[in-house]
Order: sequence, then structure tokens, then C-alpha cells
Amino acid sequence: MSEKLNKILELASERRGSAAVVTIRGSVSISDAERLAEKLETFAAEKVPIVVLDLGEMDFICSAGLGAIISCHVKSRHHHGVIKLVAPRPAVRELFETTRLTKLFEFHDSVEDALAV
Amino acid sequence: MSETIRISSKLGQARQVEKLLLDEAEKFGYGEAAIFAIKLALEEALNNAIKHGNGFDSGKTVEVAFDIDARQAVVTITDQGRGFNPKSVPDPTADENLEKPCGRGIMLMKAYMDRVEYNKQGNQVRLVKRNG
Repeated sequence: MSEKLNKILELASERRGSAAVVTIRGSVSISDAERLAEKLETFAAEKVPIVVLDLGEMDFICSAGLGAIISCHVKSRHHHGVIKLVAPRPAVRELFETTRLTKLFEFHDSVEDALAV
Repeated sequence: MSETIRISSKLGQARQVEKLLLDEAEKFGYGEAAIFAIKLALEEALNNAIKHGNGFDSGKTVEVAFDIDARQAVVTITDQGRGFNPKSVPDPTADENLEKPCGRGIMLMKAYMDRVEYNKQGNQVRLVKRNG
């Protein structure tokens, strides 16, 4: 279990039409949150209309990681962009609920669902 | 197991301390939810100590004292900053604060741990998580 929570953060992204899909794997710890912020910042700066974050293989995220997602959300709103979150694991989903960030973001079961809506 | 470790004000060092403590909790049979909670609280407390407490000052250190057994995990984290008043931090779950990227650390520690206590100066936090 502790091994899982200490997995190195892996980020992968691809463009799907006008949208960007970012797959986040492993653990978004305090030492990695800046890397996530930089990645998301590029999509906000490019005014990508839909940024889908696939959280299905993300084991953990700290508040700085949540902050990176929020910053992207706030910047994207300037160009009417939206961040969509996909398939967070139960413990991560609970984190979004505890912080009430479920109020800010759309959640979807799959990347395809997120892109279809 | 109880021990006191001193680390420099670098976020990368936090990961090593966390691994040590989480491995220890796992040895004592803490469940998945408790391990997740301890990891989260350590991340937030160490981030606060290194970033806000010591201001990433390489001349300052963070002390991590822990006592983990089958009953509970107790971790005390002390920085060398001036301290702060934790009650002065706005509620991050209030509607008007939801879009702020910072300010969730203390709330998360309180939500996931059984006890979170600051010293009077505000440069030391004591975290307690019971097993089971």
C-alpha cells in the first residue's frame, strides 16, 4: 500500500480533436505538484477548450496537486474552457468530496464519456 | 518504533521521510485508509513546514519526530519559522474560497487524522492517527 502511494508521477497527454487528454499515473506528491501545474498550464495558455484529466491510475494527490488543477480551471474559464475529471479512485474521489471541489468539476466514468458530452 | 529525523528545507527530502513512516505503519498493520490519511497529513504538514515555515531556506531544517506502534501513529513536525495562527486560515470549503489554489492543508489534516494540534507559536504540529 505505501509503495503504491509513493509511486513516481507519470504524465502523458494527447490531443483528441480540439480537446486535450492528460493521463495522470502514480502519486501527485508535494515534490511533483509543480510538474503537474506546468503541464496543465500549457493547455490553459493554448486556450484548449476541453482538458480531460484521466485519474483512473492516480493513487494519490496532495493539496498542491489539487491547487494545480484548480489553477488550470480558473485560467481556462477565461476562454470558456472546461476541465473534466475521469474515473478517480475511491480515495481520491473522497478527497474531492471532502474539499467540496466536486462543486467545481464535472466527473465522468470514461474519457470517451467526457469527450462526448 | 520512535525516532527523530532532521531534514533540510527541500520538498524532495519529504518523500524519503514519508516512505520510512508509511513503511513503519504498514508493518504494524495499518489499513489502506489509515495509510492514505497519514501520507496526506505528512505531505501537508511537511509542505507547510518547508514552504511557509522555513521559506525554503536551505539554512533551516525541519524536525520530524515519530512514535508508531500497533495502537497509533504520532508524528510531530517542527520548523524553524516564526510560526502562524492556524485559526487565521480561511475555510477552504466555503463557496468564496473554492477556486483558491492554496489553503487546504490544515483542513485536510483535520479531516483525515484523529488529532491535529499546533503549539502556541504555530511552528509545530502534532498529528495522531489511531490504527483501526
